[in-house]
Amino acid sequence: MSARGRTSRRVVVTGMGIASAIGIGEDEVWANLLAGRTGIDEIRAIDTSDHKVKLGAEVDSEALHARLKELRLRPVDRAHDLAMVAGADALRQAGVVGEPPYEPLPIAVIFGTGEGSAESHWNGFSAFFEKGVKGLRPTTVPRCMYNAISSGLSIHFRLEGANYVVVSACTSATNAIGAAFRQVRDGYADAVLCGGSDGFFDPFFYGVWNNLGVLSPDPDPRTACRPFDAARQGTILGEGAAALLLESAEHAARRGATVRGEVRGYGESSDASHRTQPSADGQARAMRAALDDAGITAADLAAISAHGTATHANDVTEAASIREVLGDAVGSVPVVAQKSYFGHTLGASGALETVTALLGLEHGVLPPNPNLETPDPECDVRLVGREAEPLRGDFVMKNSFGFGGGNGVLILARAGAPDRS
Amino acid sequence: MSDSAASEPRQQRSETFSRLVGLMRASATEEHDWDAVEPGTTTESLGFDSLSILDLLYDVEHEFGVEIEAEEVVEAKTLGDVVRLLEERGAG
Repeated sequence: MSARGRTSRRVVVTGMGIASAIGIGEDEVWANLLAGRTGIDEIRAIDTSDHKVKLGAEVDSEALHARLKELRLRPVDRAHDLAMVAGADALRQAGVVGEPPYEPLPIAVIFGTGEGSAESHWNGFSAFFEKGVKGLRPTTVPRCMYNAISSGLSIHFRLEGANYVVVSACTSATNAIGAAFRQVRDGYADAVLCGGSDGFFDPFFYGVWNNLGVLSPDPDPRTACRPFDAARQGTILGEGAAALLLESAEHAARRGATVRGEVRGYGESSDASHRTQPSADGQARAMRAALDDAGITAADLAAISAHGTATHANDVTEAASIREVLGDAVGSVPVVAQKSYFGHTLGASGALETVTALLGLEHGVLPPNPNLETPDPECDVRLVGREAEPLRGDFVMKNSFGFGGGNGVLILARAGAPDRS
Repeated sequence: MSDSAASEPRQQRSETFSRLVGLMRASATEEHDWDAVEPGTTTESLGFDSLSILDLLYDVEHEFGVEIEAEEVVEAKTLGDVVRLLEERGAG
């Protein structure tokens, strides 16, 4: 590597993996997106009889454990396990790892997570309150550390670049992909495995979200999560992970790798105003920064993949910030939202929706928003409705906004899209 | 150890061994062919290192109701060694 930190390289995606409530692997996920099939259902992992909301988007445990077994791994913590499967698929698809034993590779790992090793925390707390300090496993520290996710990937696949996690609530994965993008673009790394993972269906973590008042009380799994719809009542949580291998275009070309898409720009900002109430101004600053970073204008966008949580505060504020940034283009840029499929996977959501945005650019299709029956008049943007639409153009903007006021926005491009910068 | 158990050492060892393998399987981070595990199998070959062997000690003490020093478990290289430790403590 030469001129570290002073280069500006194209950043391509050569591998993607996804583990979600609508499937493990991109083919199953894409088919379910096009079919408008939600992953939301009654929660099976825990007893929800005391909870106001009893729905969630859970990953099929049997399928997940079967994939772990293929990797010669056993379940240790849900977020870790989901990340291992998504990461393995991204690395294998990119052609950088095959079957074990794995050779050491100069690849970094940067993953986002909102709730980290939630399952291990729950197990630790439970043992402590039942048996006191003697109840705590000797390995509680390495199990509970949030970077168990990134270090697990690094250790298992022998990835010798940096490894760390980014924790910024629902913006985590988008921040992680943005950080990875900058590492590759600016010459600090040739390849980074990035993404996000969250798994938190345990009595404590699901309980605190249940009591926050942002979850939809609609008991029907098919309609409970309705981003941008006038009848929406809140979000529904989901678990999942997605991973992308980002490489410099030169590095990918030298390997003869297939390019799935590109990351062209990244912008970030903070609202600096409230812990849970979003700000259109803060969001708009991140969107403009991302467009500037990619060297494109709002009129160049083929679509926006919204944060779209289906809470009133998010959807109305996000629609306002999109209107502000798009200006005259607001009527011509379609906006998609996918939490009605995956649930809100918190710190993983930006990664899942980045993978689906890249799939959309590849296929030239915007999947439907199956629960958008009556668009909220307060959300006056060009929303994709209950039918899939063609995706024409080269660039998709991916928004993620988190509690704490952190905003992250990616500009994703079709493979081979012209460089406008 | 009861008289009947003392008169059936092979069965007792076999049951202790099976319970130990069950504990190891539950706390292991790597997948193995657990049916092929034998008393001569090393804990290291099943992915238990200096850290995770302490977790196994935690599980063993809770499962068998005995107290074993960490050094003793670290020195026990094979599953058979661990079973002998347990039997010396009257586990069962």
